[in-house]
Amino acid sequence: MHLRLPLPKSILLETALLALFLAAISALLIGNAYYTLLAATVVLFSSMVVAWNVIGGYAGQLDLGAYAYMGFGGIITAELWIKTGLPPIIGIFVGGAASSLLAVLIGIPTFRFGIKEVWYALLTAALVVIFNNIARLLMGPFDYYLPSDSGLLYLKFNNYELMYAISSAFLLAAFLINFLIERSKVGYYLRAIREDELAAEMIGIDTRRYKLYALMIYSFLLGTMGYIYIVLAASFSYRIFDSSASLSIAIMGIIGGLGSVEGAIASSMILRSLGEYFRSSFGSTFPGLDLLLYGTVLILMGIFQPEGLVSMFNLIKRKLGVMTNERDHP
Amino acid sequence: MISPTLVLQNTVDGIFLGLFYSLVAIGLALIFGVMDIINFAHGDLLMLAAYFAWLGSVDLSTDPSITALLLVPTFFILGIGLYYGLIQPVIGKEPLIQIAVTVGFGLILQNIALATFKAEPKAVPYSIFNFSYSIGPLTLYASKLFIAAVSLATLLALHLFLNRTHLGLAMRSIADNREIAQLMGINVKKLYALTFGLGTSLIALSASLWMTFGQVQPYLGTSFSLISWVIVALGGLGGVVGVLYSGIIVGLAESLGGLLLTPSARMAVVYVVFFLVLWFKPRGLFGRR
Repeated sequence: MHLRLPLPKSILLETALLALFLAAISALLIGNAYYTLLAATVVLFSSMVVAWNVIGGYAGQLDLGAYAYMGFGGIITAELWIKTGLPPIIGIFVGGAASSLLAVLIGIPTFRFGIKEVWYALLTAALVVIFNNIARLLMGPFDYYLPSDSGLLYLKFNNYELMYAISSAFLLAAFLINFLIERSKVGYYLRAIREDELAAEMIGIDTRRYKLYALMIYSFLLGTMGYIYIVLAASFSYRIFDSSASLSIAIMGIIGGLGSVEGAIASSMILRSLGEYFRSSFGSTFPGLDLLLYGTVLILMGIFQPEGLVSMFNLIKRKLGVMTNERDHP
Repeated sequence: MISPTLVLQNTVDGIFLGLFYSLVAIGLALIFGVMDIINFAHGDLLMLAAYFAWLGSVDLSTDPSITALLLVPTFFILGIGLYYGLIQPVIGKEPLIQIAVTVGFGLILQNIALATFKAEPKAVPYSIFNFSYSIGPLTLYASKLFIAAVSLATLLALHLFLNRTHLGLAMRSIADNREIAQLMGINVKKLYALTFGLGTSLIALSASLWMTFGQVQPYLGTSFSLISWVIVALGGLGGVVGVLYSGIIVGLAESLGGLLLTPSARMAVVYVVFFLVLWFKPRGLFGRR
């Protein structure tokens, strides 16, 4: 094995390409506030899927609890600003840390008792419902609003282009963190766990510890994104703990191809944008057409293309002769 | 202060609800136990059947429980069809793929229902069991009593089927060891189709019962899927009896949780119980193989 730089050129190139792509979209949308806001939500959603890739893609744990961590971190950031005046630019890290702490509290017993596969999925799905119920008990059925201040200190602008830029920054950050993990010891261990947990344990990997690391990174990222979600939605309530939205994060990750950051971005952006398009065009005549689309894609993928979108990309790359072995996903 | 009468009333209601939940979950437990298929569309199939029960009872002006006579065989055939179209391709594949395919199927059912019936809940305007008895301070609704009795009878029949008949024993032997069962001359594929059909027809029965007192809307399935899986997890594949006990535990947790906290937090109580059981008894309360 030879040493690698922490960030090889190919990754810097991919990051630059993604940044260019995000910038090109914003240039296309300039002047249309509605589409810019929509693009900002799509990009934020995409960064959530990229964050999910750490636990779902690399570690292979089917986590359905995304909005529990996202909402928890987001509400803490928002409440800190409202109650103590702590500006969100610092508050999001507190929110992320709180989400991560929550993940530790849940993850330690869960991994300690070897809960995986369907049982892990159920446990995390139940987590969202528990938070929804408890938040409703504590917050009541009301909508809460953020103070009207805006500016970089509050990561909140009245200008949608700037909100889009913030979402893009989150996506780029999540993208880079994924690559850092992929290249690190943790990333190799996680993929070993995903392929065969028992074998990973046999060769001396502390599977519990590394799964917990993955869960902590994932929940931290989601916890920081929660506040941006609240800003884009303009208000927050107990409804932020949304089971079906949590499920769709995992769906995008699966369709993209487990462990593939590019696949996650492609599937979430394409399907979410298509979904929004269907919703705005046919929402009144055929409500739920967007979700019908997700369902159909999921079934077709599951039956015909179980490795996800990424295997199609790899096929195209191989055809074009640019496939390098280093990022080949089995 | 909560009166003892209220606690007693909620305990009885919780047991009745639990019996019904056991019936809802037993189809899932059967499919998961015999075929190792992780079906996340269980609740959505129930939602579909509930719409049929609603349509049937409104069109024929009968009690929804009577529509079961029609729905159970229909869903048996539907289940076999689903098995060949959707389930067979993912048998033996990774859990994640099975979850993806069944979640996808559930989403399709939900949104077809949404487009067809719109979002407002539908209920049957009448039921022949719409009366109640008073026993001391307790009130027993005939519909709940009827549902509990049908659930219990069905579970008992299924228990006998799985333990006494050739077919049932064959199903259990596949659950124990697929290869050896195959060596013994059991046609596994055919039996899988049958199991899925049986599981689906049990869903149709529970949906018909649900419509005698409940409402149906396109997202009804989500909560039923989760509840059914919780019951299967608690039961730990301990057979019909395990599902029966864990159904009652969930029913009691929901009913008493709603009383002691607030009704809106009752599901939180159920899932907290689920967390604790899964953490401390990962094999379920009644022994998983």
